[in-house]
Amino acid sequence: MAFPHRPDAPELPDFSMLKRLARDQLIYLLEQLPGKKDLFIEADLMSPLDRIANVSILKQHEVDKLYKVENKPALSSNEQLCFLVRPRIKNMRYVAGLVNADKLAGRTRKYKVIFSPQKFHACEMVLEEEGVYGDVSCDEWAFSLLPLDVDLLSMELPEFFRDYFLEGDQRWINTAVQALHLLSTLYGPFPNCYGIGRCTKMSYELWRKLEEEEDGETKGRRPEIGHLFLLDRDVDFVTALCSQVVYEGLVDDTFRIKCGSVDFGPEVTSSDRSLKVLLNAEDKVFNEIRNEHFSNVFGFLSQKARNLQAQYDRRRGMDIKQMKNFVSQELKGLKQEHRLLSVHIGACESIMKKKTKQDFQELIKTEHALLEGFNIRESTSYIEEHIDRQVSPIESLRLMCLLSLTENGLIPKDYRSLKTQYLQSYGPEHLLTFSNLRRAGLLTEQAPGDTLTAVESKVSKLVTDKAAGKITDAFSSLAKRSNFRAISKKLNLIPRVDGEYDLKVPRDMAYVFSGAYVPLSCRLIEQVLERRSWQGLDEVVRLLNCSELAFTDMTKEDKASSESLRLILVVFLGGCTFSEISALRFLGREKGYRFIFLTTAVTNSARLMEAMSEVKA
Amino acid sequence: MDCYTANWNPLGDSAFYRKYELYSMDWDLKEELRDCLVAAAPYGGPIALLRNPWRKEKAASIRPVLEIYSASGLPLASLLWKSGPVVSLGWSAEEELLCVQEDGVVLVYGLHGDFRRHFSMGNEVLQNRVLDARIFHTEFGSGVAILTGAHRFTLSANVGDLKLRRMPEVPGLQSAPSCWTTLCQDRVAHILLAVGPDLYLLDHAACSAVTPPGLAPGVSSFLQMAVSFTYRHLALFTDTGYIWMGTASLKEKLCEFNCNIRAPPKQMVWCSRPRSKERAVVVAWERRLMVVGDAPESIQFVLDEDSYLVPELDGVRIFSCSTHEFLHEVPVASEEIFKIASMAPGALLLEAQKEYEKESQKADEYLREIQELGHLTQAVQQCIEAAGHEHQPDMQKSLLRAASFGKCFLDRFPPDSFVRMCQDLRVLNAIRDYHIGIPLTYSQYKQLTIQVLLDRLVLRRLYPLAIQICEYLRLPEVQGVSRILAHWACYKVQQKDVSDEDVARAINQKLGDTPGVSYSDIAARAYGCGRTELAIKLLEYEPRSGEQVPLLLKMKRSKLALSKAIESGDTDLVFTVLLHLKNELNRGDFFMTLRNQPMALSLYRQFCKHQELETLKDLYNQDDNHQELGSFHIRASYAAEERIEGRVAALQMAADAFYKAKNEFAAKATEDQMRLLRLQRRLEDELGGHFVDLSLHDTVTTLVLGGHSKRAEQLARDFRIPDKRLWWLKLTALADLEDWEELEKFSKSKKSPIGYLPFVEICMKQHNKYEAKKYASRVGPEQKVKALLLVGDVAQAADVAIEHRNEAELTLVLSHCTGTADAATADRIQRARAQAQKK
Repeated sequence: MAFPHRPDAPELPDFSMLKRLARDQLIYLLEQLPGKKDLFIEADLMSPLDRIANVSILKQHEVDKLYKVENKPALSSNEQLCFLVRPRIKNMRYVAGLVNADKLAGRTRKYKVIFSPQKFHACEMVLEEEGVYGDVSCDEWAFSLLPLDVDLLSMELPEFFRDYFLEGDQRWINTAVQALHLLSTLYGPFPNCYGIGRCTKMSYELWRKLEEEEDGETKGRRPEIGHLFLLDRDVDFVTALCSQVVYEGLVDDTFRIKCGSVDFGPEVTSSDRSLKVLLNAEDKVFNEIRNEHFSNVFGFLSQKARNLQAQYDRRRGMDIKQMKNFVSQELKGLKQEHRLLSVHIGACESIMKKKTKQDFQELIKTEHALLEGFNIRESTSYIEEHIDRQVSPIESLRLMCLLSLTENGLIPKDYRSLKTQYLQSYGPEHLLTFSNLRRAGLLTEQAPGDTLTAVESKVSKLVTDKAAGKITDAFSSLAKRSNFRAISKKLNLIPRVDGEYDLKVPRDMAYVFSGAYVPLSCRLIEQVLERRSWQGLDEVVRLLNCSELAFTDMTKEDKASSESLRLILVVFLGGCTFSEISALRFLGREKGYRFIFLTTAVTNSARLMEAMSEVKA
Repeated sequence: MDCYTANWNPLGDSAFYRKYELYSMDWDLKEELRDCLVAAAPYGGPIALLRNPWRKEKAASIRPVLEIYSASGLPLASLLWKSGPVVSLGWSAEEELLCVQEDGVVLVYGLHGDFRRHFSMGNEVLQNRVLDARIFHTEFGSGVAILTGAHRFTLSANVGDLKLRRMPEVPGLQSAPSCWTTLCQDRVAHILLAVGPDLYLLDHAACSAVTPPGLAPGVSSFLQMAVSFTYRHLALFTDTGYIWMGTASLKEKLCEFNCNIRAPPKQMVWCSRPRSKERAVVVAWERRLMVVGDAPESIQFVLDEDSYLVPELDGVRIFSCSTHEFLHEVPVASEEIFKIASMAPGALLLEAQKEYEKESQKADEYLREIQELGHLTQAVQQCIEAAGHEHQPDMQKSLLRAASFGKCFLDRFPPDSFVRMCQDLRVLNAIRDYHIGIPLTYSQYKQLTIQVLLDRLVLRRLYPLAIQICEYLRLPEVQGVSRILAHWACYKVQQKDVSDEDVARAINQKLGDTPGVSYSDIAARAYGCGRTELAIKLLEYEPRSGEQVPLLLKMKRSKLALSKAIESGDTDLVFTVLLHLKNELNRGDFFMTLRNQPMALSLYRQFCKHQELETLKDLYNQDDNHQELGSFHIRASYAAEERIEGRVAALQMAADAFYKAKNEFAAKATEDQMRLLRLQRRLEDELGGHFVDLSLHDTVTTLVLGGHSKRAEQLARDFRIPDKRLWWLKLTALADLEDWEELEKFSKSKKSPIGYLPFVEICMKQHNKYEAKKYASRVGPEQKVKALLLVGDVAQAADVAIEHRNEAELTLVLSHCTGTADAATADRIQRARAQAQKK
């Protein structure tokens, strides 16, 4: 179990430097406001901050009290207030409200706003409109990359997905560019670059420009990472919308992993307190099961428990000296392992309770049917029933989107009836949700006849022209056709299985979805890496509506060592799921690669759907 | 070479002073130098002359001419002086000419006579007029000190950052001081002035009387004072013909000299070399030049014509109508080598090399002599150093040749100093050329640095030479060639007689994409000259779109700026342009512009969503985007409005918009919602409880749970709730109520559209096995097994499955067989299976 890496697998670069950089910069910013100060932190930044600088570090730099930025008046009595926020208008109004309230009360304090990862002009303008721009000093904390694990870097920007793929707002692209720039300055240039997607292309081009401008910094450095692969989330929505069955993915789906750690509630810990557990490679037990199909996990854990017991039992026959050794050297490790084991067993039980019911089996069955494209009618009625019974608003939406994506849009009759049912179940505000989903191309209606392709060809002609390339969202919803079925056939995404798929000894990446489906995103990466370009994938690229948006960029320098050429940085713009990470880790083990993941945020189907949903405030 | 030291004049025992010609001047001067205001910039800088017509009582009616020459006498500019009377001229450190007018206005001109700017030295100066003015240099830049008609001083230490300081009054000062100067100590500018036998030091706070230590008695007035180039030393000339030399702090006397000439000198300046122990002052009278120092004798020169002294870092330049000379202390290295009968290693090496060229064996003798003493390294170094101080290329060459010769006999002599000296001399010889006219000495050149020298060449528009120097010295492009090309381009755009296209093309051809050249800076210059079109053309060459935007905005090309900003991908930049546009255009035009730029539009929309909801609505209206408008009203209906009427009204607007958008579905759904809202309100009034904001499904459920079955049915009919949903709904609700009786009645009301398996499921969820069993019997054959398994009747399930001969069902039942209780059943299934396979 838990396959070891091939002996020739390259070492991963040390990403802890990123943490140190971020911490030093934050400390510098805090020192800019000498003396005692209260720190107001935006809720979304709390967990990432915690991974960078804990409370005692903050206290060392004269942070007095910590507050959460929320819609309540602040009770701080400090003379200096420091706000650590994302650049959002809502936060600016909060700060402005606070400053203006002080002004009314005739109080003068020092205010400093630290934007992370960068400030936006719009924010400063709001401060100006509210008349407090002069009272507040603004700074940037360029903290854009949080190493969640040895091979996983997150920008912790879940809003990237909605802002870009729904609203067409490109403001975070610059942040992504800066993140790439930081990586290339620290770890050398990337000799081979590939990418697909509109956002990818734009980010890549801007990044290249930036590199050219600051020429010389990375020049002559030996590349540590040989390949860079960038990918837009909208190239492959299907994978992200599938139910996850790999352990780490399941934990994320069930308990929500937040910033690399998870809160296990009383049902897991079997006590009355909940427990925060850091999930990464340092957790030995977790590290061995994270990439496993769930059906194997329980067996593995019980085996592990037995081994542990055996190790405990060894002390029976020991003399005093051995016992002393045992207590001083091994016991602590065993205890630690024991604790972790019990946590994960608890989590497993809890997941089992939720997922092994009939409902879940049916759900998975329907999903697989959708992916493979049979029994569409049956699946549609299953979804309808799902909606009628108000099982879960998010799940229902997810299934509808899956149906639309795999079937290239819903037929008009189904589109109407499913929407009607959904509105009846969950309220009319979801008219907006559907409008969002349509705009993002997640839930669409099949157009009658072939008129669409005519528009499409026109659009793609326009897109070749550089200036017209900017006409994005006006046409994008029209142009977006998923063509999933054809792509699936071309790339062989549904493995032909003779007999039972052995989940214990997976033979391809499909194991992350019980052997039913190879994640499209991961397959693309595999294919491109194999060919070292998009050559021969033209048809697939066309079907993905990315004819002008897939690129290969290689530098001729052969300074890259063979070791670095087996290190691949995969960038997911718009988020990636743990299933995709597991699948690529599997691929890496098979081929002797190591993958490094950079994502705007770790996501899953529920998060994607929530990003699209309109909820009453 | 015997005559080489002919122009050396000894001063005392230890130092020699020499004077040699830099240029013979053929500047066709119309006036005598003595009739002009003269200003010559240090570091071989330009010379400005302004015939001073205001000195004589009856000013000539003709306007004076301001002329600017290079140090070699080449005319650089000539212009008619049209402003007021000028009291003093001076060059700033940036080689800008400062002309101090009588009214305290300072006019600033460029090297080529181009007017730059002007500033005033304040009201007080304006009222009392300027009596005298000095331009002086400090580490902050160039300063101006003014003595007004009221005998007060005003000064500004840096004209670049003008801060006027009025100095304190000198008590009892009735007439103008006989002489004065600015001192610079501890980074603060002071003024030292002499009134009769007294000296006063003015700092910004107070006026204090000072006495130089060891001053000879009998002084009744000071006629002239001079501060050294570095502000370290001071010299005073008294009416007794006595010269006092000491430190500028007036704490120490260095030496004194009595020249016995009582006539006031025309000029007195320091002539000393950095790091030299010798201190000397050059004093000039009408026809006599005297070098005095710490020696009983002085060196005297006769001046054939009107001359002017320019103090330099390491000597004094003297120019007159026909010649330009340099007077300095002979540097140590040169002295060692050339002093008559010198046995210094350098001298021997030079001699050895000469003999070598003559193919004489004496060369070997000399060389041996040096080597025996182990002084060869020192000899080479001396030759290299001395070469730097020579003005004549021939002399430089022979010294360098000697150095190179000596180097051959050394194992490990680092080549850098030799190479660098060759390079430096080549640069120096090039700029000392008559046509360029910058007579820098080696020490001045090192003090000035190559960067500043390049700037000065650029200032003189000597671009090709500057570029050649950069290339010759292999300076990095960004500091060197690119910078100069950029300056050239900035000059080029000012050539108004060339068409925009030609200028743009010429610039692009020269510059290409040289790194470090900012086209936007050049474009900004073009715009500054009023050539907007040219600026736009130049901006086209700017590779970074972000750099183009600010200038485009300044030029009011906002729309172009917008598309450039979008190209740059920097949303902040886009936003900045948007705000500009918003203020610049009327609303309609602004929206139209947005419409053509989807990226900007979505950015602005995002902003409006949070900050300006009304604008968002207008935006959609303008675009006839009824779909989004409808969505907007829907959002408003639950986010903004509290009252039911308001919400219904908002929904009505939404429905209208949806109709316009031909989105019948959304329109109908909205209308349904309006009906539902009204109805929910009525229900709340009639039945109490909470209905508003529930979904249709939840509303009906609430009714069922409240026991209002009739109402629920009615609602379901009104809103055409499908049977399936209704059945699910009622089933769930009744089971929740645990109203088993009603549930059974309901199940029998007609044939269930969802079958009876759900009944079993729901009952089991409520843990009511008894009820579940009732329904299990009614489940259709296809789902019978599932139902039986649900209620836990494995045996019967097995029976059914066997009867169906369905493999999948058999497997399912088998998987439910756990424990010993079901062993028999499992057995039965296995047998049935085996039987089935046999057949």
